[in-house]
Amino acid sequence: MKAAQFDYVKPKTLSEALDLLVETGDDARLMAGGQTLLATLNMRLSEPSILIDITGITELKGISVQGESLRIGALVTHTEIEDSDLVAKHAPLLKLAVPHIAHRAIRNLGTWGGSLAYGDPAAEWPACSITLQATMIIRGPSGERRIGAEDFFIDLYTTSLEPDEILVATEIPIASKDQISYFNELARRHGDYAVAGIAAVAKKSGDVLRDCVFTFFSVGATPVVATKAQALIDGQELNDQLIKEAVEIARSEIEAIADLTNSAEAKQHLIGVLLERCLKDMLAQK
Amino acid sequence: MELNGEQLIAAPIPDVWRGLNDIDVLAKSIPGCEEISRVSPEEIHAKVMFKIGPVRARFSGKLLLSDVIPEQACSMAFEGSGGAAGFAKGRSRVELKLVDGGTLVSYTTEASIGGKLGQIGGRLISASAKKIADDFFQKFAKELGGEVIPLQSAPED
Repeated sequence: MKAAQFDYVKPKTLSEALDLLVETGDDARLMAGGQTLLATLNMRLSEPSILIDITGITELKGISVQGESLRIGALVTHTEIEDSDLVAKHAPLLKLAVPHIAHRAIRNLGTWGGSLAYGDPAAEWPACSITLQATMIIRGPSGERRIGAEDFFIDLYTTSLEPDEILVATEIPIASKDQISYFNELARRHGDYAVAGIAAVAKKSGDVLRDCVFTFFSVGATPVVATKAQALIDGQELNDQLIKEAVEIARSEIEAIADLTNSAEAKQHLIGVLLERCLKDMLAQK
Repeated sequence: MELNGEQLIAAPIPDVWRGLNDIDVLAKSIPGCEEISRVSPEEIHAKVMFKIGPVRARFSGKLLLSDVIPEQACSMAFEGSGGAAGFAKGRSRVELKLVDGGTLVSYTTEASIGGKLGQIGGRLISASAKKIADDFFQKFAKELGGEVIPLQSAPED
């Protein structure tokens, strides 16, 4: 199928794009990589009257280190993250996650900011941004505001972004030397949406993990953090018994939502499977 | 797809029942409701704009009430068509019960969704339906001048 008719504009600056958004309101859609939006248009599941192509705006591009943070521009593609030495060094979790995102052709065009602003519960970046305690930098008509990733994702496909705002970049605290990461997702085929996934970091000394964050995705309307399991693991000598207890706790503290092919029980089970693999992997990591 | 749930609304049963049967209250409570009219005591027609994520689909449909026991329960059959997006069809049973603090509304719904929405949206239809139901009850309770009281553990599928 082909999309219905729409107007197309490509502003050169962020302020131009913001003005256009205010002018056109809900009839407009921002387009970055277009990897979700264009499919929806072609399926005629959405018929906006105007597309604002933001890919020409340089303020939204680039990966850089700024003080104690790694700044990733909203227009950075998945492939750029995959190939970035700065990301590998300062946010290694993202490097582990990229290969799980769809397929090469999609990774070449799809963007970091697009994935975050879209807020798909099965997507990798929202979960990673929560795990890494990223800060979203948002620009609107009244200026810039910042919000933590844990408060940014509100509900299914719903973020704290207002219709007249644009996600500009995110800042991620640079990983400490003792930080270890783990990322995994279970899908029927590689590149499919995950049935369930985990994005985790912890600081490790000996067999003890501290400051751990275990974020599960594709199990609820937004990514969910297993706070009780984290509290149990934190500061304790990690062993098989503790792993078993953490798995039990994670399964009971997270309420999974079923989809058409996987029941809530199946997802609940997979939460435990993922956490067990994560903790065993972390225990083996140097 | 199945969607079952319970909502506790801080309002007496007669008010909740009247609200559920008042198309003006429904018009204000149904997320994205653009038009609603009662064709006969048992039949309601409506136009609803669903907005979830990138999807904007306008559904027009009808609702048929049956097995109505005033202030206790009713069943409804519904079907709607969203043009190119697809269609939805199903049955729902709603029951009201007097409890401490207000009225407990329980509902069981069975629906099938077809067309493109079903093919590519299937992964998230349960979560979307739950979000729409939650939004509805929040607005509905507000219309009645009450509020939704969170249940300890809301049963869901």
